[in-house]
Amino acid sequence: MLALDTLHGIRVVASPSALDAASWPDNTTVLRLAPDDVFVIGATIEHAAVIATADADAIIVAESGFVGCWLHNDALAEVATHIEWHIPTHRPAFAQGYVAGVPAKLWLTDDRALLLCASPYAHDLSERLKGSA
Amino acid sequence: MNEFVETLLEMQWHEPKSSYDVVIIGGGGHGLATAYYLATKHGITNVAVIEANYIGSGNSGRNTTIIRANYGIPESVRFYQRSLELYAGLEDETGCWIMHATKGLLWMAHTETGMRAERARALINTACGAETHVVGPQEIKQICPQIDLTGSGRYPVLGASYHVGAATARHDRVVWAYAQGAMQRGVTVLQHTKVTGLLREGERVVGVETDRGPISAGVVMSAVGGNVTKIAAHAHVRLPVRTHALQAFVTNAYGLDFPGIISDSELSCYVSQTPRGQMLIGAEFEPQPSYSMQSTFNSLASCAKKISSCLPFLRELRVLRQWTGICDVSADFSPIMGFTGVDGFVISTGWGTWGFKGIPAGGQQMAELIATGTTPDLIAPFALDRFERDHSMADLGSAGTR
Amino acid sequence: MSDTPTSAPAGRIVVDGLPIPYETGDTVAVAIMRSGGHPKHGGTVCLGGDCPNCSAIVDGVPYVRTCQTAATPGLMVRRHPAVGNPSFPAVAQPDITRTPVTDHVSVSRASADIVVIGSGPSGVAAATSASADGHSVMVLDAHDGNEVVAIYGGPTVIVRRPEGMLHVHALRVVVATGAAEIHPVCPGNNLRGIVTARAAEQLHAAGINLGNAVSIGNAPVGVPCTPITGIIVRFEGSGSVSAVVTVGDDDVEVTTPCTTAIVGLGLAPRDMLSRMSGGLPVGLVGQAAEKFALPPCPTAGTVCPCSRVEVEDLEGVWARGFHELELVKRASLCGTGTCQGGVCGPHLRAFVAHHSGAEPEMFTARPATRQITLAEASADTYTDVFRRSPLHDEHLALGGQLDRFGGWWRPWNYGNHEVEYWAVREAVSLGDVSTLGKLVVSGPDAVELLERLYPTTVADIKPGRSRYVLLLNERGHLIDDGMICRETDSRFVLTFTSGGAANAEMWVRDWAETWGLQVHILDRTMSLAAINVTGPLAATLLQRVGLVDPPKFLQHRHDTVAGVPCHVMRLSFTGEASFELHHAADRSVELWRALMEAGRDLGIKPHGLQALFGLRLEKGHVIVGMDSELDSTPRRLDMDWAVKMDKPDFLGKTALVRTASLPDHRRLFGFTMEGRAPTEGSPIWSDGNVVGHVASSFTSPLLGHAVMLGWLKHTPFPERVQIDGREASVAQPPFYDPKGRRARA
Repeated sequence: MLALDTLHGIRVVASPSALDAASWPDNTTVLRLAPDDVFVIGATIEHAAVIATADADAIIVAESGFVGCWLHNDALAEVATHIEWHIPTHRPAFAQGYVAGVPAKLWLTDDRALLLCASPYAHDLSERLKGSA
Repeated sequence: MNEFVETLLEMQWHEPKSSYDVVIIGGGGHGLATAYYLATKHGITNVAVIEANYIGSGNSGRNTTIIRANYGIPESVRFYQRSLELYAGLEDETGCWIMHATKGLLWMAHTETGMRAERARALINTACGAETHVVGPQEIKQICPQIDLTGSGRYPVLGASYHVGAATARHDRVVWAYAQGAMQRGVTVLQHTKVTGLLREGERVVGVETDRGPISAGVVMSAVGGNVTKIAAHAHVRLPVRTHALQAFVTNAYGLDFPGIISDSELSCYVSQTPRGQMLIGAEFEPQPSYSMQSTFNSLASCAKKISSCLPFLRELRVLRQWTGICDVSADFSPIMGFTGVDGFVISTGWGTWGFKGIPAGGQQMAELIATGTTPDLIAPFALDRFERDHSMADLGSAGTR
Repeated sequence: MSDTPTSAPAGRIVVDGLPIPYETGDTVAVAIMRSGGHPKHGGTVCLGGDCPNCSAIVDGVPYVRTCQTAATPGLMVRRHPAVGNPSFPAVAQPDITRTPVTDHVSVSRASADIVVIGSGPSGVAAATSASADGHSVMVLDAHDGNEVVAIYGGPTVIVRRPEGMLHVHALRVVVATGAAEIHPVCPGNNLRGIVTARAAEQLHAAGINLGNAVSIGNAPVGVPCTPITGIIVRFEGSGSVSAVVTVGDDDVEVTTPCTTAIVGLGLAPRDMLSRMSGGLPVGLVGQAAEKFALPPCPTAGTVCPCSRVEVEDLEGVWARGFHELELVKRASLCGTGTCQGGVCGPHLRAFVAHHSGAEPEMFTARPATRQITLAEASADTYTDVFRRSPLHDEHLALGGQLDRFGGWWRPWNYGNHEVEYWAVREAVSLGDVSTLGKLVVSGPDAVELLERLYPTTVADIKPGRSRYVLLLNERGHLIDDGMICRETDSRFVLTFTSGGAANAEMWVRDWAETWGLQVHILDRTMSLAAINVTGPLAATLLQRVGLVDPPKFLQHRHDTVAGVPCHVMRLSFTGEASFELHHAADRSVELWRALMEAGRDLGIKPHGLQALFGLRLEKGHVIVGMDSELDSTPRRLDMDWAVKMDKPDFLGKTALVRTASLPDHRRLFGFTMEGRAPTEGSPIWSDGNVVGHVASSFTSPLLGHAVMLGWLKHTPFPERVQIDGREASVAQPPFYDPKGRRARA
């Protein structure tokens, strides 16, 4: 069973240019969910101060609605058997789509990958990836 | 010889003429049934049915052959119940073997809200003449021993509505029974003739333009499936219709051990066994409007998964053939029958995924409308102008199964 | 056919209960023929995967082509019944003790620029040239264990392998599947002992002695046999072939005795994969692309072994007026069986060509060319995802009966919905409303967007205030409802129903984009949990856990409750004072437990949907999709009060203006009736006619009678009706606390 843990960070919806210009601390993981939407794992609201200045109407909120786990190569290969879409080959890469029929996201780095989904899906996702622990 | 080779009926093809009292566009079940009832009930035989391909080549030959009347609103229940009754008498009436078999339909529910819908369906159907009961898991198991009441552990069966009079019939043979009956009485059926436009005098429609020349008509009826909006556009009639693809598949043939028809709203799938022994399995129509008849693997995979949730034995069956039809779905999920507001042009459309079960009543009622010039009470609620009059016949609940 | 084993067999399979040895490399069909049997009961064997004449029940799965199935130790094979269909697996085969092989099917996925199907000369050539052009190439051949089942959009090539399914995503597909051999159609063609030339080569190569073999037409290569000339008239024999009768140019019949008849009658393209791929980038090369001459029009014998169609059947339906390929097929079922026209196709076309004078195209091919089970088709496919609120386990611990509602697991009750009902009416209760849709809209055009989306006025909602709103489509029909909470001049939080949230989000985004308005939108539905604290003691409870000054009715603010930051919204759906606490999903259990603990002496109980549906019904509150229908305008729901027709514009206004001038012929009414509530959905009768139906019903514990919302659809609307055989009357909701004092208390 995959242990999917809550990912703490911030969610920022702002103009794409403001997001493009933002810089984040080194220990954060920056997932660009959409041109105007970013989920920064490990960041706090203070880190988005620049964006708040650039875009006064930006939505900046604490985000704890995603769960995920880091996978190393073997586990990722196993998870990949439940993915019908093309997994990007460049690194780092961010991809979103169904994993075992559950809406999910993948953040792929050189040596590992973060698999994440919205927390209400956590149970079904880990259940379906039982063999992938 | 297999027992299903057609040995009873005979097609009498006629040469085309340049003019008819009635021209019907579309040689599927609805078009041919209308011609049949015009000839048999109203003595109107100077009729041509024009088909772009071969008769029954559209949805009449692609559906899942289910006949039922358990709809969600009284007007629909009454209409489809009439159709169900006409179907039951069609073999005696035409002397053809349409392989009609009354089987009963279980419509299963897995949640409290699902049961609420089935209880409601049973009550309103029975009140309107289509006998339907609520049954519990044990009765379901008696009716269909193959059902896994745990739903593979994910979709436990809480109960079902059981529509006693539901039946199946061989789709092609329904088409042929009506075609033969109509042609015997002098109706012309023109295959491989494409209608390219409508002949008009002022606003009035006075015939059709075809790729084999013009044909004039006192009344033109569109019984087209799949491309109806294009035909209607020739008469400047706009239809609240979108076309969606619907896919189905059959398995190989097995012993005739599967009783009845099983349907499921939550899983959006349904299955019955054909007289040949194939399991005939269908799903809901594709959400995205499309004219494409390309089958998709996703549809096969997901439908196979869903249907075997409650019928696990199906997992071991082999898929024989998968196919796609395109369905005209109206804005309120009910058919559109009758006058269009354009003189000389009447219509039968919006049959979505439920057109097969409506063939006899649709044909009978449209024939009466054409013959008498007035709309019969049974189909008055389904007139095109209901949208303008704000009298739509919303029946989404019944679109869950076909 | 038999052979003399020269060494110990590689293994044994079990055929119809008897162990049968096989040699290394044997397929099941070859093993059976090695032992002198026939995998079916008769008929020409091609061993090329093109015909149904070797299909059998393998490990409980009927219709397996045994010529494509490797013999493995202990494989259980049963032949199909000689007459009629095989039974369903498992249902009629209790002797199967092994776990069905398809119980779990794995899927692997691959992608390649070019997928070449078939590794014969044309396939190899296509692969070589594609590789030379720098493309990635994948070659799939049944002989290598890659049985291509079908080609779908993408193109996606679906492949079955011994170890599971393979889905290959390609840019282009080349079909190089070669050609199939023509089967003989003549009397006696159902006998055993007839093989095609290629099958003979295969059997010979496997070391099987074909006995007294004769060959007609193209002779097999290297197989000892006596060639005979002429055209086959019939095969003779009882069960097995004992002679072949041919006729030469001299019209004299010649009978040649034999134990094996080898037929080399020519080829037909194996192009089914390409014929099912209309519009896709799928090419055809080699023999699969060739136009071979059709065989002569058949005059007698079995044309279609799958559906048992004889030539006389074709002649019969032709005489009945079925004058084209498709109609002949449908009227005789020729070509509708397992091999999908693989055997009968060329003969059927020859028949139609002869009778109509024009050579018809082959009928459309449909998936699948090689058959897969439903388990194989649906391998690694899943049904819907069911969402769980963060409080899922709390509900279970409290005895909650969970039910799926709007794609979520939700508590239906916690054992007794009446107890929950009274907790709401008389004390305080918690409801898990985490499933509600929650959208943040922010930006200079936020007000403009909401003014256009909603039929209510938005600009006059003050920050810190909220308003109940309907969401209408362009037809003026209700699609959802919820609350607008204004946070600042340019920022709002919108709520939607649990089941409608996903559509509502798309709706809001689509319109914002369509109108080109400057707003940011964030869907927080799954990030925020929400607990509804409701009941006369709700404020007391909240004060105990730190919310000193709970907001007033239709106010909202951000505050801390039991140490958890919350967006507190005061509203009411139950009819009692209610506070929705929206909070981070990961803090939900903590908040829920704190509230339950703090309310213990107040008589706090959680309530499920069953109680909630009754509570709100006493107030006459409509549930979208339960009480409303697809075409419900606010007028029909008696909710014109929620629509400001004097607004310049909003979605649906044009339709509402038009329909307002039409006679009102259906409407949702409140009803009351003595006794228990009738079943929801019950017909409403008047003068012996069905005039409507009950949408929602509840036996009110407080009022002691049934309360309902129901539709009347025939005018004039009657005042007195019959429901469930009892008299009922129209009554104006709310049935409880009509002035709404309790909600505001």
